[in-house]
Amino acid sequence: MIEVDGISKSFGPMPALRDVSFSVPTGSVCGLLGHNGAGKTTVVKILSTLLVPTAGRAQVAGFDVVEQPAHVRASIGVTGQDAALDPTMTGRENLVLFARLRGMGRRQARLRAAELIAHFDLEYAADRQVSTYSGGMRRRIDIAVSLVVPPKVLFLDEPTTGLDPRSRRDVWALVAALAAQDVTVLLTTQYLEEADVLSDSIVILDAGRVIATGTSEDLKRRMGFSYCQVTPLHPEDLSRVVALVGDYAEVEVDTDGNTVSVPAPHGAATLSEVLRRLDESGVELIDISLRKPSLDEVFLHLTGPTLTV
Amino acid sequence: MTAVLALTERVVRSGYRDQDIAFAVLAPILTFVGFTVALRSVIDTGEMSYPQYVLPAVVVQAMLFGALNTTDRAATEHSSAFGARLRTLPISTYAPLLARILYCLLRGVLALVAAIGVAHFFGFRMDGGFGYGLAFAAMSLTLTLALSLGAEATGARAKRVDTSSQLLLIPQLFLVLLSTGMAPVDSFPGWLQPFVQYQPISQITETLRGFASGHVSGPNLAVSLAWCLGLLVALGALAVRTQQRSDEH
Repeated sequence: MIEVDGISKSFGPMPALRDVSFSVPTGSVCGLLGHNGAGKTTVVKILSTLLVPTAGRAQVAGFDVVEQPAHVRASIGVTGQDAALDPTMTGRENLVLFARLRGMGRRQARLRAAELIAHFDLEYAADRQVSTYSGGMRRRIDIAVSLVVPPKVLFLDEPTTGLDPRSRRDVWALVAALAAQDVTVLLTTQYLEEADVLSDSIVILDAGRVIATGTSEDLKRRMGFSYCQVTPLHPEDLSRVVALVGDYAEVEVDTDGNTVSVPAPHGAATLSEVLRRLDESGVELIDISLRKPSLDEVFLHLTGPTLTV
Repeated sequence: MTAVLALTERVVRSGYRDQDIAFAVLAPILTFVGFTVALRSVIDTGEMSYPQYVLPAVVVQAMLFGALNTTDRAATEHSSAFGARLRTLPISTYAPLLARILYCLLRGVLALVAAIGVAHFFGFRMDGGFGYGLAFAAMSLTLTLALSLGAEATGARAKRVDTSSQLLLIPQLFLVLLSTGMAPVDSFPGWLQPFVQYQPISQITETLRGFASGHVSGPNLAVSLAWCLGLLVALGALAVRTQQRSDEH
């Protein structure tokens, strides 16, 4: 369980977080979504007792992060943006070291390391120096290290940044499996899709403020998550396209880009319906596609047109 | 305690892998042989043989090298994600610091044994006997402890791995060369003699030389002890404060 109540943090005169509040129920996954510099890592650092907030309170696993840091530390696992491993040691040695730092004896630590290596399919690399690992392997060992003692709350700070698509899917599967074991997970990400796939709830952070919270379904509804983008062959057909999809809400026309955007709450079903109508009336198309809004578009949507520059 | 032990093992292993342990043993051997071969017929140390005279300076030099190495390790760890992860674990804030200090002491013991071993071969003797020999080791290691605590504080503050120890290389070299550890005070120009005579490395090497021969002058011992213990307290406090501060910002 994570409770964040009005946390602010300033570095000198620079406010990094302003009045951030959210909560994550036990056993659920919360995605903290935002750009670089939005304050995601600062939130993780405060919750993992690395930073003391300037104002506000926060509880992790029932313990206050400022008043009871030792209890918090005993309840959490943290995987940061950069691999927090000793690169000169092997994967196994790193696991054994952290197991011993969590109070296990030598033999117990070795057993636990072997268990995690098997679980993470890293037998082939376990006895090589971490510095020779690929990004994906390093991340897996890194996550394994934060699980040497099963944590109540796990922080994953941008767990898939810099990973190739396959390793990214591996990490996703891992997070899903953890959530199924009643671990509370707070993960930060810049990718909307990632937050969408993995999280039960999403907190969107922008310039140190929470600008939206809710389940991924809530946010999708509020933001019209995907939309169907139609590009007719002849620009003069734009108005015909608009007329054909006129019954959909919030259709947008971009005459410069020669496209019509139709919100697609039902995803592919909306796309095929639009395509059927256009086909029947014989509008020729260059392109029709289903698009998800970029994080920028979501932010624009949430922060309103006043912030567009 | 398990944490300190596990972290110390890690530093020892990394010292072994990055050849620092080999350097710890070889550095005093090479400096001793170098100084002795180059200078023993040039510098007049009176009745005392040059190996007997110069050994304490070699030991102090080795302890300074050890401290520089600690600076690098502390700087690396304070700026790394690995170091940050250690601070999210339910272990003492001081465990990583203690581990590096213990390693530095171990390194000091190795350097001491290597230096005395090679010097013995060249005719150096612990004429004072076992008690004085013990005092010799104790003072050398107290100095190592004090210096490595200072190195901790410097490394943690600098956080720039490549520059912090190089910055310190100059003053330590300067202090060793301009001390009575390498040559008696009359071989320095007159205007430099007051500095050479009273700077800490001169005082400490003189005491160590006294321990080795079994004759220590009271006032000199007092000055050396004051330096060693004073540095220990001052640098220790600084290291502890730095570690606390790095916990909060």
